[in-house]
Amino acid sequence: MMTEGYRVSDIMTCCISNMLQDNETVFHGVSSHLPMVAMKLAKSMHAPDLVHLNIPGGVNPSSIKQASYSSAGADLLGTAEAYFPLEEVFDLSMRGKLDVAFLGGIQFDVNGNVNASVIGDYHKPKVRLPGGAGSAVLIPTAKKAIIWRVKHDKRTFVETVDFTTTRGNLWRIVTPLCIFEYRKGKLHLESIHPTSSLEEVKNNTGFELIYDEIKYTDSPTNLELATLKKIDPYDYRSIEF
Amino acid sequence: MKKVKSLKEAVNLINDGDTVSFGGNVLHRAPMAAVREIARQNKKSLKLVKTAGAQDIDLLCAMDCVESVDAGFVSYETKYGLANHYRQGVQSGKIKGNEHACYTVICALRGASMNVPFMPVKGLNAGDLLVKNDYFVVVEDPFSGEPITLVKTIVPDVAIIHVQECDEKGNAIIYGPKFEDILISRAANKVIITTEQIVPESRIKLNTERIDIPGFLVHSIVQVPNGAAPASCYKKYEVDDKSVSAFIKMSSKDEIRDYLKAYETKDYLGERMGRRL
Repeated sequence: MMTEGYRVSDIMTCCISNMLQDNETVFHGVSSHLPMVAMKLAKSMHAPDLVHLNIPGGVNPSSIKQASYSSAGADLLGTAEAYFPLEEVFDLSMRGKLDVAFLGGIQFDVNGNVNASVIGDYHKPKVRLPGGAGSAVLIPTAKKAIIWRVKHDKRTFVETVDFTTTRGNLWRIVTPLCIFEYRKGKLHLESIHPTSSLEEVKNNTGFELIYDEIKYTDSPTNLELATLKKIDPYDYRSIEF
Repeated sequence: MKKVKSLKEAVNLINDGDTVSFGGNVLHRAPMAAVREIARQNKKSLKLVKTAGAQDIDLLCAMDCVESVDAGFVSYETKYGLANHYRQGVQSGKIKGNEHACYTVICALRGASMNVPFMPVKGLNAGDLLVKNDYFVVVEDPFSGEPITLVKTIVPDVAIIHVQECDEKGNAIIYGPKFEDILISRAANKVIITTEQIVPESRIKLNTERIDIPGFLVHSIVQVPNGAAPASCYKKYEVDDKSVSAFIKMSSKDEIRDYLKAYETKDYLGERMGRRL
């Protein structure tokens, strides 16, 4: 999916990076390569004092290049400035001092309900999903909860979720097609990626789109793409694609 | 009492129906040799507790050792995909999947470590997890009158934690991320340490302030080099990609029995090895 030298994974990484501000405390969990690279990109570009927090407890790892199969491995502590383990990241968020948390999910609806738990009945599910990990406590307590999901189809963006693992206080959802903003209790289409179109977003979303105007996500800049090559030479940001 | 035991003896301490908590996180420093021995000894109806598990939980689910799983996340990471044995177990109704928010597992274990019946948890205040699970209750804070969620304490009968170094008294040092292991060691009634090597007390004494789990909390010690494999162990080895990749393709119990058999020599190696005393 190469368009003008960048791919959808690059767009997602760069637009997430641009959502992060200097000095913010930012956490990513397990299976979270794309946000991990986005955090590193933000630190290299406009947010040098962003605080990178993760499960193994490595504060500001200087390199993420060893994290091939895991974004929760010891390598993130090996090159870190300090040790601040998961338990404490949670406590930090409960105290209202975690600025941004990156979370996943399988199903989302227009009302901002997130499902990472089951398809079907909770006690005897048709599909048992991995689980929301920290979502149910971090989405309500982090100042900004950003969800990324590399699938955008009618099974992912649905009228009503099968199960509400958590809801409310989302900030943004980033998909391969667009960015949703959660505002006044509803998901609003904020911008469409330059590689997609309003029609494609409509055709792949199971609820009526809400938007004021059609905007497009910024394309990655040459500097961003060059920086990505340096910080993420093995292309971990594309693992999920 | 002699704490150093063989892997068989240590795992034999676990009773069917016990609540068991494992150290490590997903594919990192999970006590996999002990997990394999639990499967070989065909333990039944175990209640597993972990913030985020992967092959440890999946393997025991595959071998029908598990009654329930209390966890925030059960899956391999991106590259290896989903924990299919766990999923099938829950989907067929054989296993009860008690979903937590990772932090609520931590709070439930903190409750055990402080010997209180529940812990208040901030954050968990919306959604169906509260409604569907009897281990969460929303009550009125008696001081402020505001609603507050409580999570029921989980007291593991047994904790199994794999470490890099431990002496014969059980004084254990974890290198790299400690995950929730220190908390688990305080929460459980019985702590089993599996260790890459048993080192002389004199060596641990050079680093007393680095001891993560003091020996008086430890019931049993097993020397198992590569005891976390195929999970990683910081400063010792990385994830064994071949072994994990082979395992996730297995669907029958017979295949997995062969997989367990192939690990036997390695898993029992530490018992025959000399200790560095």
